[in-house]
Amino acid sequence: MRDKVEQLQGAVSHLVSLLLAILLGLVVCSPASAEDPVTIATTVCVACHGPDGNSVIPMFPKIAGLQESYIVKQLRDFQTGRRKSDVMAPVVAALKPEDLAPLARYFNQQKMTPGEEVDKKTTSLGKLVFFDGNEETGVPACVGCHRPMGTGFQIYPRIGGQHSQYVAQQLKNFASGERNNDVSRFMRVVAKRMSEEEIQSVADYLVSLDSK
Amino acid sequence: MNKHLALWLLALLPAFALAQTPPWYEIKGEFKEALEAKGDPARGKAAFTPCEGCHRADASGRASGAYPRISGQHARVLVKQITDIRGGKRSVSKMEPFIDDHVLTPFNIADIAAYLQTLPVPNTNAKGPGTLVARGKQLYERDCADCHGAKGEGDAASFYPMVAAQHYRYLLREVNFIRDGDRRNSNPDMVKVIKSYSGSDLEAVADYMAQFAPIPK
Repeated sequence: MRDKVEQLQGAVSHLVSLLLAILLGLVVCSPASAEDPVTIATTVCVACHGPDGNSVIPMFPKIAGLQESYIVKQLRDFQTGRRKSDVMAPVVAALKPEDLAPLARYFNQQKMTPGEEVDKKTTSLGKLVFFDGNEETGVPACVGCHRPMGTGFQIYPRIGGQHSQYVAQQLKNFASGERNNDVSRFMRVVAKRMSEEEIQSVADYLVSLDSK
Repeated sequence: MNKHLALWLLALLPAFALAQTPPWYEIKGEFKEALEAKGDPARGKAAFTPCEGCHRADASGRASGAYPRISGQHARVLVKQITDIRGGKRSVSKMEPFIDDHVLTPFNIADIAAYLQTLPVPNTNAKGPGTLVARGKQLYERDCADCHGAKGEGDAASFYPMVAAQHYRYLLREVNFIRDGDRRNSNPDMVKVIKSYSGSDLEAVADYMAQFAPIPK
């Protein structure tokens, strides 16, 4: 049953990204030069990420309030294939280089909505990992780079308030190397040292952080 | 004996004598680059960010001794340790990926070391049991003070670490590693000195060192 739901989700994502690519193509090919980021955001990105970047679909990340340089890097990495995504690849293919910074600025200026309250029993391990890491296995505390409340800093993205399903998937992708666009292999090393339980627990804990 | 052979041996004698004590470190390569770079504490603070996950934002390390306090340590000592670790002269497997060439240039290392040296050192390091301090003081004053200082202040010029205000369990682990040849990058004279120490001697000297007050700046 789970497989069928995932297959359906996959099929829907592909259909959505096809429609988005067409729509984006229509938008950016209009006579105006550098496209107004608000237009792109509210006609194209909205479908997955919500009108202000606060996605309500757990598999699509919230991008509201993300650091500008981080958004630009991810968009460029999607364009070059440095970061693989069947959903994002056709969408970013239609973006021009001069669209990226204004889009990043727009989403950075939005506010990431806090996540819901979480069950403290399941997230107590996540809180420990977030603040202390794991001394036995050499997992650094997430707070070191991602800051208290997961606010983020420069190249280290905001993660407080992010969808737990998305965070867990990214950590798994870093651990397997399937996602490999992290600077200096940092996240790949960190995620590989994390247990499944730690990954899920820290992803659940992050949901509850209001990263302002 | 052949007169020529005897003369050759006599001539080469000084070379043999010198060859007995090679320097325990060589200032070359990136070690040299990092030492000679003018480390900037402000740049070092930004470059230190990824280290905070283990060493903490105030670089105080962990009371468990898993990660040492590195705040206030001599910049030259830090440069030697970081370049030794990533050059394979000292093994700290948990740390190696986070300080490799993709992460840090020799100039980053110089900046981080300069920054860490400026950080305050409160008297909050984890102490030892306290029961072996008297014995530890005897051993320390006899065997360690000459290099590490009467108050544990170390010697930056000679690359001898400051041992004051360090976590007990970290000190204990490192003196064990040094005695047993696992640390590999310490002065061979130190290995000779503590080779005969029993486990209890090592605990004593670590117990004593852990109660040193932080060195005033």
